[in-house]
Amino acid sequence: MSGFSLLLRAARAAFPAGARQLRTGGFRSAYAKELFLGKMWKEEVFPYPEISNEELEEINQFVGPVEKFFSEEVDSKKIDQDAKIPPETLKGLKNLGLFGMQIPEEYGGLGLSNTMYARLGEIISLDGSIAVTLAAHQAIGLKGILIAGTDEQKAKYLPKLASGEHIAAFCLTEPGSGSDAASIQTRATMSEDGKSFLLNGSKIWISNGGLADVFTVFARTEIVDNDGAKKDKITALIVERAFGGVTNGKPEDKLGIRGSNTCEVHFENTKVPVENVIGEVGGGFKVAMNILNSGRFSMGSASAGMIKKLIEMTAEYACTRKQFNKKLSDFGLIQEKFTLMAVKAYVMESMAYLTAGMMDRPGVPDCSVEAAMVKVFSSEGAWICVSEALQVLGGLGYMKDYPYERYLRDSRILLIFEGTNEILRMYIALTGMQYAGKILTGKIKEMKKGNVGVALEIFVNKFRDSMGRKVDLGLVGKDGVAHPSLEESSKKLEENIYYFGTTVEGLLRRFGKTIVDEQLVLKRVADVSVNLYAMTAAISRASRSISIGLRNHDHEVLLTNIFCTEAYFKNNYAMAELEKYAAENLDDSIKKVAQQVLEKRAYICSHPLERTF
Amino acid sequence: MNSVRNLLRARELSAGRGVLRQAVPGRDSPWLQERSCAQCFWLVPVRSIRSSAALSRSELVPSAKGDKEKDRGFRDGSLVPFDELFERAHEGDRNKAAFNRAVEFFCQRDIRRRGHVEFINAALRKMPEFGVERDLDVYNKILDVFPKEVFVARNFIQRMFNHYPRQQECGIHVLEQMENYGIMPNKQTKFLLLQIFGDRSHPIRKYQRLMYWFPKFKHINPYPVPAALPRDPVDLARISLQRIAADLSAEVTVYQMPLTDISDAGKEITQPHIVGIQSPDQQELLARHNPARPVFVEGPFPLWLKKTCVYYYVLRGDPLPPEEKEEVIDSERNFYYPMHLDLDLDRDLWDDEEFYVDEVAEGPIFAMCMAGAGDQATLAKWILGLQQTNPILSQTPVVFHLTPGPRELQAASDSESGEEEIPQSWHMKQEL
Repeated sequence: MSGFSLLLRAARAAFPAGARQLRTGGFRSAYAKELFLGKMWKEEVFPYPEISNEELEEINQFVGPVEKFFSEEVDSKKIDQDAKIPPETLKGLKNLGLFGMQIPEEYGGLGLSNTMYARLGEIISLDGSIAVTLAAHQAIGLKGILIAGTDEQKAKYLPKLASGEHIAAFCLTEPGSGSDAASIQTRATMSEDGKSFLLNGSKIWISNGGLADVFTVFARTEIVDNDGAKKDKITALIVERAFGGVTNGKPEDKLGIRGSNTCEVHFENTKVPVENVIGEVGGGFKVAMNILNSGRFSMGSASAGMIKKLIEMTAEYACTRKQFNKKLSDFGLIQEKFTLMAVKAYVMESMAYLTAGMMDRPGVPDCSVEAAMVKVFSSEGAWICVSEALQVLGGLGYMKDYPYERYLRDSRILLIFEGTNEILRMYIALTGMQYAGKILTGKIKEMKKGNVGVALEIFVNKFRDSMGRKVDLGLVGKDGVAHPSLEESSKKLEENIYYFGTTVEGLLRRFGKTIVDEQLVLKRVADVSVNLYAMTAAISRASRSISIGLRNHDHEVLLTNIFCTEAYFKNNYAMAELEKYAAENLDDSIKKVAQQVLEKRAYICSHPLERTF
Repeated sequence: MNSVRNLLRARELSAGRGVLRQAVPGRDSPWLQERSCAQCFWLVPVRSIRSSAALSRSELVPSAKGDKEKDRGFRDGSLVPFDELFERAHEGDRNKAAFNRAVEFFCQRDIRRRGHVEFINAALRKMPEFGVERDLDVYNKILDVFPKEVFVARNFIQRMFNHYPRQQECGIHVLEQMENYGIMPNKQTKFLLLQIFGDRSHPIRKYQRLMYWFPKFKHINPYPVPAALPRDPVDLARISLQRIAADLSAEVTVYQMPLTDISDAGKEITQPHIVGIQSPDQQELLARHNPARPVFVEGPFPLWLKKTCVYYYVLRGDPLPPEEKEEVIDSERNFYYPMHLDLDLDRDLWDDEEFYVDEVAEGPIFAMCMAGAGDQATLAKWILGLQQTNPILSQTPVVFHLTPGPRELQAASDSESGEEEIPQSWHMKQEL
């Protein structure tokens, strides 16, 4: 990534979201957002992104040794038991260059593109602890320096970080603050000579907190406004352990990813030079947001990698174990589980590489919504798949002697970290709503004012919808971009997208800006949009596979059709719910139950054995 | 009265006994009772006079009541006035045992249980005096006084009409009193009623209605007050404050325990209790309070817990000025998603489910307390205690707005119900 693009990234951070639409060229990439308008930006996602033969060869050169290392030298069971990654394993990872995958070659990293990073992520995810350690190091820990650091900062820190000599950590969470910037208590006070900050405060649950030498710390600093008023703002700082005053608690004992080091980190009068501010003083919020948004896409390929491995292991078992003189694999209910795993893995993989491909396009595409979609879909898919795999194995899966329970424990964190799925659903839905709202405001206002023309247009549209409209967004048919064998799925996708657009418009008309408080509505909106993106990715990938004749592309068609059909019905159900008012779609009842339970902070029903007389 | 009685006798001779039995309600004539089982065998013409007898009742009853005392004296030979039975039974305390003794005495005195309706009515009246008005066993014992199986209707005609109406009414009275005190009958009650009045009698119907509604209403109050309130003023204050605060995170602090001590000089020192409550939300509100504006201690305000009235004080601020009320959400608040949308669209009418409520601006309430004394010195101690957890209070002026209200109320009610008062707390009393 060139310095120019980094400049652009920093510049982008300074612009509000609305300003972005005015730009053309590199700033497009709004496929997911366009969905909220009921439109499909085909050029963005068709054809499915490819990498050149040279790049493919290059990545395969990496994949071989890494795969070998993970299968031969990583003892996941031991890592899990000892809650520690042995030093020789870490050394091996460093030697493979895995600590600097996305750091440019000029700073001693591998300089991998997002796609290649995703590919390696597939293998690294075979051990959850290592994957998290590496992700905390480079997906968030040093990302701040990478995307918003100055050349001096990069030259100073990146080479050592790339080699793994130094490990990085990302320090945002505090005891009283998860996603709320206002409750960050760690404070950086400017010294009198203005050359350094004094950092004081505590951070909790810091991955790599005990190993790291370089921390990206977010702290409150007092800055003076344009109008002279003093205000507290968040600033991002690069803090070295060598600065002094940095201590950490003992590693936390966790459910999964036990080998990764998570602990509290305390800063006590740590002196941080002013040159170590990432971005500008008081600009830490944007830095944090950009780091978090950019770190998520790789979870898709990582989950897919894990599930592919799981399929291999469980299939082996299902095809050898016999019950009632039949192999497990002959039972429909077992077959169903394998289909489910294959479908999920396929869709996850498609989404992950589509997103990575979009991010690798020239310019600085903003794929944060797509990345969040990938994270939500793949983390939940991974959890379901691991659970189903365990089910195939029955009691055996429950035993500590086998790795399945470890996969289950490890995969649970996927739904929680890097923004919980609930939070990301809000992000997806609200970002889309904001985008669509900007464009639709005029139209909706006209209609509300009683503009006959607009109202009539809406009425006619509604009427045509109710008569069973044929939606054609140009996916198939003449000049279609999807392969004809995927016509059914494509039609379903087109229909879903069109009606999603009308649903979103209806929601904006109904709730306006107060939709931020309608979390149950937003959740459905997010679910539908995630499904739409997933369908798109699957169709796009399958179309490419058929067209260029990849091996087993007929299998891909099957997977795509299964997924699209299921998702189509789920979407229709969700959208039907969205059309209803809160009293009819159970939202009111749901809220009421929760309210009553939470008021008493207990399950309030009487015991079934209770009597009154 | 004698003349009335003679008149009645004469009427009886002419009209039949069954009629007379109805004409003198409120009292039982044992000499009628004994033979009254024969009543059903009276000829049809006798029944036809009933309506006229009912008319005469309205004239007869007042005079009969007015001569009650005299009447007792008249019957002294055969009947002990039942109130006296109870007076006699309690040699020591008025309690359940004494009450039971009276009932047993009545039952053993006469195998025929003459005058049981009067006795039961008297017993029902006396129950609160003996403190057994909420005791199911006692009610069952009272029902047990009724002779068994005598009043059970034997055919459909009896069932159709009001068979032994006074006895049935009396049975209903017992159940009604149970109802009024919220006592739910049990299996034993049903068994007794079935034995006495038989299936589908009025008391059984009453019983069934009770059993229909009582269970339904048993838990109708979402905020139940404990059946027995604690006698300790600190515990009572704790319960009351938790009840008003309605926040499970609110924390009760006892700032001062009640204490009576003799000082060195021989002077008696009483130290009233001070119990306060504050929730984390209130603490936060107080922390954000502008110290330039005063806070107020107000009270006392009454809180009724069943029959007990307690008083509490609040620490409140003035309604917020509009410029402080609107909380501006910082656009850099949430790392993950936008907290508000930059749209010029409002909520549509159909999704606006808020009712129109005429809201009166009210200041925030920062804390509440109950104290053993309502003077400023005591409440100042409370504020001092609050300062430990709310440092901002030491910089904020505190204004005491105390009304003398409950003191006067206290003076008025003292003479009436001094007995029930909980010691040591002048502003906590029970009114019956």
